[in-house]
Amino acid sequence: MIRTQPKIITLILLSVFIASTVHAAKIQHELTRASVIEQIQKRKILKVGMDIFQPWAMKSKEGKLIGFEIDVATRLAKDMGVKVEFVPTAWSGIIPALLTGKFDVIIGGMGITAKRSFKVNFSIPYDYSGMSILAHKELAKGFDSLDDFNKEDVQIAVKLGTTAAIAAKKYMPNAKFRMFETEPQLYQELRNGNVHAVVASAPRPAYEAIEYKDTLFLPLKDNFTEEPIAFALRKGDPDALAFFNAWITIVEKEGWLKERHDYWFGSKDWIDQVE
Amino acid sequence: MRYKNSQISILDGLLLLLLISFCGFIIYRMFWGMNYNWNWSIIPSYLIYSDPETGSWRANSLLQGLITTIKLSIWGMIIAVIVGFVTGLCRTSSKLFFRLLGTGYVSIIRNTPPLVLVFIFYYFISDQIFALVGFEDFVRGLDKSSLGIIAFFFTKPELLTPFLSGTLTLALFQGAYIGEIVRAGIQATDIGQWEASSALGLSRFSQMRDIIMPQAIRTMLPALANEFINTIKWSSIVSIISIQELTFQGIQIMASTQATLEIWITITAMYLVLCLFLSYVVGRIENHLADPEQMKGLTV
Repeated sequence: MIRTQPKIITLILLSVFIASTVHAAKIQHELTRASVIEQIQKRKILKVGMDIFQPWAMKSKEGKLIGFEIDVATRLAKDMGVKVEFVPTAWSGIIPALLTGKFDVIIGGMGITAKRSFKVNFSIPYDYSGMSILAHKELAKGFDSLDDFNKEDVQIAVKLGTTAAIAAKKYMPNAKFRMFETEPQLYQELRNGNVHAVVASAPRPAYEAIEYKDTLFLPLKDNFTEEPIAFALRKGDPDALAFFNAWITIVEKEGWLKERHDYWFGSKDWIDQVE
Repeated sequence: MRYKNSQISILDGLLLLLLISFCGFIIYRMFWGMNYNWNWSIIPSYLIYSDPETGSWRANSLLQGLITTIKLSIWGMIIAVIVGFVTGLCRTSSKLFFRLLGTGYVSIIRNTPPLVLVFIFYYFISDQIFALVGFEDFVRGLDKSSLGIIAFFFTKPELLTPFLSGTLTLALFQGAYIGEIVRAGIQATDIGQWEASSALGLSRFSQMRDIIMPQAIRTMLPALANEFINTIKWSSIVSIISIQELTFQGIQIMASTQATLEIWITITAMYLVLCLFLSYVVGRIENHLADPEQMKGLTV
């Protein structure tokens, strides 16, 4: 009895050890299998969530989607050897849509924020964007710093659920904010003289300032924030995160990202395709 | 209908003048008073475009949106009618359990805003159902010809899941309203019809099918046809869950082109034409039903 006990203990330990090794292997296997990368390969389709945002993604006159994001996602799918499918989604509901599996990844000019990081995983940044402020010539006469806007009687329009809303509240906490669901509404409110300024991602405010140069102007020469833009994917998928990070590193070093960025943000050669 | 007096009085003329000048003022303010660069030239190309490869004309986003809206409304209405009939029958059932079931459903739907229902149904319910039965993988596994059939009757295969979610959501809340129409139709049938058929020894099912329903349907039809127009109008609400119908497509093109007002006006006109046409059809149906001679086939 006494002599057999160590044997039993050894046996138990051994079986636990074997079981745990098997278990670990199984977990690794499951992780790989459950990864969205594996699903994309199986389905042969990459589903990308995005929203229309000039010049990130736009609908062209030929019924196609064009823009910086579209180029990035199309190249990504090509490199993965699969087809790309875009799922245009209203921005305010884009994270719930990702979490409930309406698409695999958000490639939609999404800025990294701590709050969003609680809900989704971000890849490394593939682009940088900044917030720009556009103001009404009469209402905001002589305003040339953020402090000028940071007053209680100043009204600022922002798009709901964007980093523009967060940045505007951070830099101008005293101003009054008006939230809108889509971008064109912001600019219409500003042109109508109902708000003093609009805060939005560059370069759209600059375009607007050129188009309506009699009423609108850019009070600050540069963007007042710099924001990293990244892919967003569901949490708990280390495989996909590693893959996207590797891909971004490659195309960045290639110079391809910068070239595409310069085409969409530095020029307006594409404007004939939409307007 | 005959009008008593077709002469225009001074007061009529004055009111008309006032109305015209008011509309004129609004239009003036819209087109000249507002700080907005109008760009109507983009509208035609977002309705139809010529394919650069084949040179043939194709429907662009706005027209595609309109087609999706129509398909969404037709399917939504078909399902809503089924749901509505079941609900209406439950509501008028002799069994307490069915009455409670029907009443519960109708009161929940009628006392919550459709917008909230759409969100809850889309994100929490439809998703679980479709994922559970492996719907998406099933569709993607289909061969080319069946995918073509799906694209014709519903929408592009890749948009099918959201399309069906939207349809179900629409059907679910329209079903409650149709349920009330069905209930009213059944209850409006003369009680004597129930008594007489009961005296003849017909079962309850047979009473309902052969005696009550044919008469009830006659009273229901105009209201049902109206509800179809309502379905079209309500379908714009599913744009918030990114179903690619007319309103959603419009919003997307606005963000692409910044031509906000032009597109809103175009969309309004498209809805208006569609619903006016249907109103005309509904009017014809009502006239048709009002004539008892035409109804001989239905009432027996």
